[in-house]
Amino acid sequence: MIELKNISKSFNGKEILHGIDVIYEKGKTNLIIGASGSGKSVLTKCTVGLIEPDQGQVLYNGKDFTAMKLDDRKEIRKKIGMLFQGGALFDSLTVEENIKFPLRMHASMTEKEMQDRVNFCLGRVDMSGINDRFPAEISGGMQKRVGIARAISLSPSYLFCDEPNSGLDPGTSILIDNLIKELTEEFQITTVVVTHDMNSVMEIGDHVIFIHKGNKHWEGTKDTILKTTNKELSDLVFASDLMKKVRSLG
Amino acid sequence: MKILQNIGEYFILMGRTFSQPTKASLIRKQIFFEMNSLGLGSMGIITIISAFMGAVITLQTASNIDSALIPDYTVGFTARQSMILEFSTTIIALILAGKVGSNIASEIGMMRVTEQIDALEIMGVNSASYLIVPKIIATVIINPFLAIWSMFIGISGGYLVAEFSGVVTTDAFIEGVQLDFKMFSIYYALIKTVVFAFIITSIPAYYGYSVKGGALEVGVASTKGVVTSSIVILIANYVITQLLLI
Repeated sequence: MIELKNISKSFNGKEILHGIDVIYEKGKTNLIIGASGSGKSVLTKCTVGLIEPDQGQVLYNGKDFTAMKLDDRKEIRKKIGMLFQGGALFDSLTVEENIKFPLRMHASMTEKEMQDRVNFCLGRVDMSGINDRFPAEISGGMQKRVGIARAISLSPSYLFCDEPNSGLDPGTSILIDNLIKELTEEFQITTVVVTHDMNSVMEIGDHVIFIHKGNKHWEGTKDTILKTTNKELSDLVFASDLMKKVRSLG
Repeated sequence: MKILQNIGEYFILMGRTFSQPTKASLIRKQIFFEMNSLGLGSMGIITIISAFMGAVITLQTASNIDSALIPDYTVGFTARQSMILEFSTTIIALILAGKVGSNIASEIGMMRVTEQIDALEIMGVNSASYLIVPKIIATVIINPFLAIWSMFIGISGGYLVAEFSGVVTTDAFIEGVQLDFKMFSIYYALIKTVVFAFIITSIPAYYGYSVKGGALEVGVASTKGVVTSSIVILIANYVITQLLLI
């Protein structure tokens, strides 16, 4: 479980996040939604420690991550897997070496054990057999899946996905969404997904948080979001004609 | 003020780079990779430039000696001194600042904008140490060899000009090359090369690591890295020369 308490962050005097409290539960897919520039990514970066919040606490299973020294944070970070918007695979390494990277850093494994783990992770994301390819030689969707394979290589307790569907076709987007959902349930991971893709919300949103102008404006599930009367959330959710039709169908 | 901020950020980054070392086994592999990429990859350009510079120094010196009182071996002596003391160290460093510096700044800058550095941090890796230390160690090790290679090729270039153009006899050229040779000149050159190697890698690395934005900003960082490291090389050259030779 991850608990955020009163998280605030400003850049150059402009407040981006204002006193956000959230609990991300274990084994659930937690979605952060909001318009571009609303503060979703900043909130996630504060949660994983890439940005230091100005105030507030981030608790990983009750341990205050924000108060920890850099060395102590490493222990938590070993348990974090993250899928970045562009995949963020290391260009100079092959797919196999990318997935082995966290294992080499943190696991005491033999070469054979690492190889088995790589093959398991690639198999889990349906990408077996591309071990020797470089990131530039595979498609964007494949890079995302390899990114997930790398993120789960150390069997993380927490998985963060920053806009996992951006730039992908609808079919691949659904595939990635389902993969995230399956992994979350299978390994009982606390998963946090930043998105503004309403398909993702309807597919995998166990717990949905709506961020508007740096505030937590709404919190609920994929079922309750369709019945919302919150104006700002309605503007986001029912922006497309398709979603307007979904609402009219009740 | 911006300069002071940059200097402060540079030293903070260097502190972070050397304070939390990454696993030695991973860095070792990277060092060999960087020695090949940054060092041996520059052999071609260094060979060509050094050969022609040695040849031109020989020609110019010979053509400017009008007085019969100045012995012919001065040509070889001048070629040797110019190559060892200045060309193979400072000028080669400036050329490498352009080639290697822009490479480092753009490589690290692209890693920053494509979130690869964030990915390293999330994995609990000190990204500054992992990315910058192997490059610094690799260039500090390999650049002195490049400097010695440049000295050898430059003086050889001068010898070949003496042989084929006839501006000076080869015997006189060799006599000049051997005249009053002091081993300290080589030590001085190698000390400069090691300092310049650190500058060539660390300053562009700082600009690349600090990039915010996209491809345009990476290009700007690359240019700043090359310009700043070139200026710092010239300043360091003056300071080291003042300290060691005067």
